[in-house]
Amino acid sequence: MTALLAFAHVAALLLLPIPMIGIVNRTRALWAGRKGARILQSGSDLLRLLGKRPVYSEVTTGIFRLGPLVALATTLVSGMVVPLLGGFAPVSFAGDFVLFAYAWGLGRMATTLAALDTGSSFEGMGASREATFGALVEPVLFLALGTLAGATGRGSFAELLALGPHGLARTGIVAGCAVALFVVMQVEAGRVPVDDPATHLELTMIHEVMILDHAGPELAALQYAGAMKLTLGAALVAALVDPLRGGGDPWLAAAVRLGLLAAVAVAVGTVESLVARLKLKAVPQYVFVAGASAFVALLLTAWWQGGGR
Amino acid sequence: MPLMLASALVLLAGAVLALALRHDTQRGWASIASQAVASALVLAEVAPILFGGGERRLAVPWSYPVESIALHLDPLGAFFLAWSVPMTLLGTVYAYGYLRPQFGDRNAGVQFALLNAISLSFLMVYTLESAFAFLLGWEIAAVAAWLLVVWEYRNQKIRFAGFNYLVSTHIGLFFLLAAFMIIHSQTGSMDFQSFERFLRQPSQLRSITFVLLVTAFGLKSAFFPLHTWLPRAHAAAPAHVSALMSGVIHKAGLFGLLRVTLLIGTPEPWMGWYLVAFSSLSALTGVLYAGAQRDLKRLLGYSSTENVGIAGIGFGVGVLGLAWNQPALVALGFTGGILHVLNHALFKCLLFYAAGAVYRATHTVDLERLGGLLRRMPWTGASFLLGGLAISALPPFNGFVSEFVIYAGLFDPAAPAGIERALLVATAALLAFVGGGSALAMTRAFGLAFLGVPRDAGVHCDGEVGPSMRIPMIVHGAGVVLLGLLPAAGLALVDQPVRLFLAKTAGPATGAAAGAARLLAPVAWAGLAILLVLGALLLLRRLLAKGAPAPRHVTWGCGYGAVSPRMQYTGASFSAQLAEIAYAVLPQLRRERLPRGPFPEGRGQLETTCVDAVERRMFEVLGEGDDTVSSAARRLPVEPRFSLAAGLVVLLAMVGLLLASAGAVR
Repeated sequence: MTALLAFAHVAALLLLPIPMIGIVNRTRALWAGRKGARILQSGSDLLRLLGKRPVYSEVTTGIFRLGPLVALATTLVSGMVVPLLGGFAPVSFAGDFVLFAYAWGLGRMATTLAALDTGSSFEGMGASREATFGALVEPVLFLALGTLAGATGRGSFAELLALGPHGLARTGIVAGCAVALFVVMQVEAGRVPVDDPATHLELTMIHEVMILDHAGPELAALQYAGAMKLTLGAALVAALVDPLRGGGDPWLAAAVRLGLLAAVAVAVGTVESLVARLKLKAVPQYVFVAGASAFVALLLTAWWQGGGR
Repeated sequence: MPLMLASALVLLAGAVLALALRHDTQRGWASIASQAVASALVLAEVAPILFGGGERRLAVPWSYPVESIALHLDPLGAFFLAWSVPMTLLGTVYAYGYLRPQFGDRNAGVQFALLNAISLSFLMVYTLESAFAFLLGWEIAAVAAWLLVVWEYRNQKIRFAGFNYLVSTHIGLFFLLAAFMIIHSQTGSMDFQSFERFLRQPSQLRSITFVLLVTAFGLKSAFFPLHTWLPRAHAAAPAHVSALMSGVIHKAGLFGLLRVTLLIGTPEPWMGWYLVAFSSLSALTGVLYAGAQRDLKRLLGYSSTENVGIAGIGFGVGVLGLAWNQPALVALGFTGGILHVLNHALFKCLLFYAAGAVYRATHTVDLERLGGLLRRMPWTGASFLLGGLAISALPPFNGFVSEFVIYAGLFDPAAPAGIERALLVATAALLAFVGGGSALAMTRAFGLAFLGVPRDAGVHCDGEVGPSMRIPMIVHGAGVVLLGLLPAAGLALVDQPVRLFLAKTAGPATGAAAGAARLLAPVAWAGLAILLVLGALLLLRRLLAKGAPAPRHVTWGCGYGAVSPRMQYTGASFSAQLAEIAYAVLPQLRRERLPRGPFPEGRGQLETTCVDAVERRMFEVLGEGDDTVSSAARRLPVEPRFSLAAGLVVLLAMVGLLLASAGAVR
């Protein structure tokens, strides 16, 4: 049974990113009054990129070629600890969320270094922004997950995301953390209102400007890793708001979780359609709002546990 | 103990030889050989204690006023000795290559003799139990480090940096002396063992002593806000001296902190919080400054302040665990903190050695002038990258292991629920920011110096450095990888020292110590998994390429054809956004003459420098504090807003005093 679930988890981890991006894009298209591309369109795009032969800049070293692969490898490994289908994660241990966050950190550093390797000022700009926002978003992630760890007294992702919105205090904690994690997902996966994955050549971009020189399989790896990050971030939010808390029959829980994932993807697409991308100066404030939300949840936890029960 | 005494004699003999021999080459070899022998002797002495526990004592009768010198080797001292002495040896090997171009012009024997003296001071500080002799070792380290820093003494700036260091370290000494005098007045003894009698009982005087001791040791380890001497000294010193100072010598301060914690009986919770707060501030300011420096070695200096802060957070958690009698917290806090001390020594020396290699090859460490060094200096570049990844606590390297344990301590449910746990979680969030900021600083440093193309045509690169500078880098790099992939090895090293702390709690020590091992087992697998997946992806990538060589072209300039190396992103612009967010801590001085009008004449220029706000404010207060106060006093009756604020402050102070006195009466 566990082996079967683990297999399903890996399959979901590898395959879900494509429909997730598809749902987000379809939602955007529907809001804009268009029909939109196929749900699986990004899969075809990735396959097309894989067949291309890339051109490398003369300036670059091995780091440029290694960066995208490191980003993908770290995202894949980090995906093993996130409960994607129901309350089950193939690998689960105390403090696995620390590993998750720092694996993403490694991927981030690899992509920023690959960007700097080209010696292009555009990509340097993107790298600078990515590194800065990365430093800002990490404490928010830890504040939210630490709050949950404090509230549940447990140490692994699967356990601490299963807090469940029951009772006033717990609902408040879950809501605060969910908001924070949603913003973390938007920043990490480079979605509107923080970043815009649709435009490549604007000076206001973060992720997209870093990958200007990447092409072919490297570009595919980066885009796939980005989609996977979106999926994993959405899985965190979905697990947090799951009314079943991942319990009961594992397959039913998995089905519910898939539905919630789709709902989060729709939410992402809706936000992207209704909100304009923020000015860069406003992005730190946006992240601070998420941090404040997690902080309120933390204070609520302290009050809840410290005698306000 | 006899081996220890023998190694001290060998070191002394090596120092004498380094001064007496005729040629610098021989002097260098004398120092290296004596340190190698001393390291082997020390390792033979400490290994049984480090892995098997127990302790050794030796009392040497001495003349008045010391009477007897007590030597005491326990696992904590053994742990510090086990890496301090060999790392100094590596530093000396590096110094041989680093100073080589100056052989013959200068007497390098002094440097080698002083490096031996540094090793000797470790033997003293980590084993001596008599305060007098301990202070002597402490002074040897301080003065030797000062003399090592001012190697290029003809440069006034370097003399100033050295003087600054000398003054700061002696301010620390005064605090230490004050604490020892208080204890002496209470116990009538200068022996650490009898210090325990006084430090065991909670009293107001004990609290004062604790604060004095933490201040003294904090100054030694360059905690915020006592760090201002550090970036100057590190930038001025030769690379091997910066490496040893930052990675090894100043760990004596952290050793002092740990020793005090061992002596102090059951600490009060405020002591733990004091350590956590002090350390968090250090980590935060250290990383912010590291992110904005232009001088590579200054940047690394600030990152030392950050890393002692991280280790200090671990110690703070451990002290809190002692105060609450929670063995789990004690084990996690001290394991993480002590392991981070070793890890920091490993990667910080690595980074400084790489920075020194850059300086030897290009004669500059100015990030705005470097670029594209990775292709010219692959070994140095790889070393710096490795150190940068490890210092940013990224898996699968050693920095991640120790920070992971510290995180586990911060998130441990053993902390009392409520505000205490919330505070620890908030500290964890701060630590996460520090990790992200450190990644930014290291990405920036590595990206600017080693990637892209050279920014300044005037900087000439001589190519890769020689083997005697490469070997220390390789050894340190191997340590970084080994302790990252095999966390059990690191745990084995710190296990016995941590048991000393666990012995102070009532709970079963073995279970708590095994907890950290259980915790770290998956981390090792995760690191391996990342490497395996990466390897698989590389294989896949190779299959996709079908063996065809990829075409090369210029970097895509978004349609602009006349791109020049000067147009690359600069260090100042890389950290501009961070500086803007943290403007209160990171003041940027701008000197600008911008071109004006539609047809500007002459050359425009813009220069920004990141200055140390603490240092500036300190000098401001020292120099113009009376003016500030009198001008504030003048404004008081005139500006209503100002007087209201002052009134509120007075009111608060009065209420606070009343409450305090009420508490005292009750």
